Amino acid sequence: MSALGLVRAHVKVQFLDLLRWPGYVVPTVVFPAMFYVLFDLPFARTRAQAADATALAFIAFAIVGVTLYQFGVGIAQERGRPWERYLRTLPAGAGVRFCSRIVTAVLFGLLTAAVVAAVARALTPIDLGLVQWLGVLLFSIAGGVPFVLIGISIGYWTSARAAVPIATACNLLLAYAGGLWMPPRYLPEFVARISPYLPTRMFADLLWSVTGSGRAPAALAGLALYALIFAAVATIGYRRDERKRYA
Amino acid sequence: MVLRFENVVKRYGAVRALDGLSFALERNQIVALLGPNGAGKTTALEIALGLRSPDAGSVTLFGGSPRTLAARRRLGVTPQESGFPDMLAVEEIVAFVCRHYPSPAAEAQTLEAFGLRDLRKRRAGTLSGGEARRLALALSFAGNPELIVLDEPSAGLDVQARRRLWEFVRDTGPQRSVLFTTHYLEEAQALASRILVIDRGRLLFDGTSQQLRERVGGRRLTYDGENGHVVVTAGDTDVYVRELVASGAVFTNLEITKPSLEEAFLSLTGGAP
Repeated sequence: MSALGLVRAHVKVQFLDLLRWPGYVVPTVVFPAMFYVLFDLPFARTRAQAADATALAFIAFAIVGVTLYQFGVGIAQERGRPWERYLRTLPAGAGVRFCSRIVTAVLFGLLTAAVVAAVARALTPIDLGLVQWLGVLLFSIAGGVPFVLIGISIGYWTSARAAVPIATACNLLLAYAGGLWMPPRYLPEFVARISPYLPTRMFADLLWSVTGSGRAPAALAGLALYALIFAAVATIGYRRDERKRYA
Repeated sequence: MVLRFENVVKRYGAVRALDGLSFALERNQIVALLGPNGAGKTTALEIALGLRSPDAGSVTLFGGSPRTLAARRRLGVTPQESGFPDMLAVEEIVAFVCRHYPSPAAEAQTLEAFGLRDLRKRRAGTLSGGEARRLALALSFAGNPELIVLDEPSAGLDVQARRRLWEFVRDTGPQRSVLFTTHYLEEAQALASRILVIDRGRLLFDGTSQQLRERVGGRRLTYDGENGHVVVTAGDTDVYVRELVASGAVFTNLEITKPSLEEAFLSLTGGAP
């Protein structure tokens, strides 16, 4: 069995196990779209430009929610479970287990983002062409990487109990201060000043760049830096857990 | 050589879970690992499976480290029964495990052998304790590996399921090695061609169940005499019986028995199995 085939088998198992939990799927997949409808729809319906910006910001919010929050909490809760221990005895390397988790998180993130996009298409004058949507898809995957790594960091550095409040706080604060819920110019001055340095804002900038804002290179560079930092944090957390549990 | 422990030491803080454990497992052997609670059985298995690493000594699984993929492709293990992904069907879990192995057993055959055929569409989260246990056992065989490691295989099984497991292990035994821990001496005797007894992290005995009983030595002799029931342990029962007859004493119900495996075990470890 090739490593790629094994990743697919692991993704399938994780995906089915999540997809069949209504209590997981509904809040995860539907809530970002619901927030979007409740908070930003009146604003988004006014003009195509506003519709584009808010939908893209909520697409970022959907992906951050899944990759950082759901994924981080999932790792924190599962890493001590007997099934994880059993998986380690199967002939699949740590690479397969890690990659499959990341692929599952990104797929769920995209699914969640797709619901936001569908709502925006149905209810707002959003005006993005096919090429722009393809750009959104690509940037969603690339921009999701640092959040996956933040999720893994939370998963390995917090206990199963602490993971939920910590991941919730990170998710909501970063979403708010990054301007995912309201245009950054409406943020309080203090928040507006730090906003450009937050990964969520960079993610939004990256997605907004498909409408021609021209901020993509700077946003990508910033996100790459966050990815590097949290790759290190996640690796140290993972090794620490390994030593504790499987030394 | 399937599995080899050489002077393996494992400490947890001040506790020496394994204290120079050495043994080797040959191909096509069914071996029982016996020992009282806290003897180091679980630690030994965890090290054999690559879940822990020894502090000193060496462990090789199929000639390599237990943590290599090449070694693990030849190994089958049971998960702890409480831990399946709840929403997956029994057959999906079996298929998932099979995908990891180069030449897995036919899925239908695995399901059948562990009485899971009718449960194959059931979600793992809805299985009863015994059913989940059978699924866990089925997974160790699913990949058709050369070595199967079972921790307390019949814990939580009803009599029927236990007999079935024994039958299955015995039937497939000639083609592979099985290493299992157990608290049931009956199980060790019924299944294992070789018994290892460990206590305090050391190997106390390595041999057949027959040899284990003989090691204790002596025979137990009981009869009803003039003053009631008499129990005697004698090194040479033949001499004892001759003397008893010659003495002219009245006796009935004379019985001579070998010590049971349980007694042998107790005398070896000085505690409960």
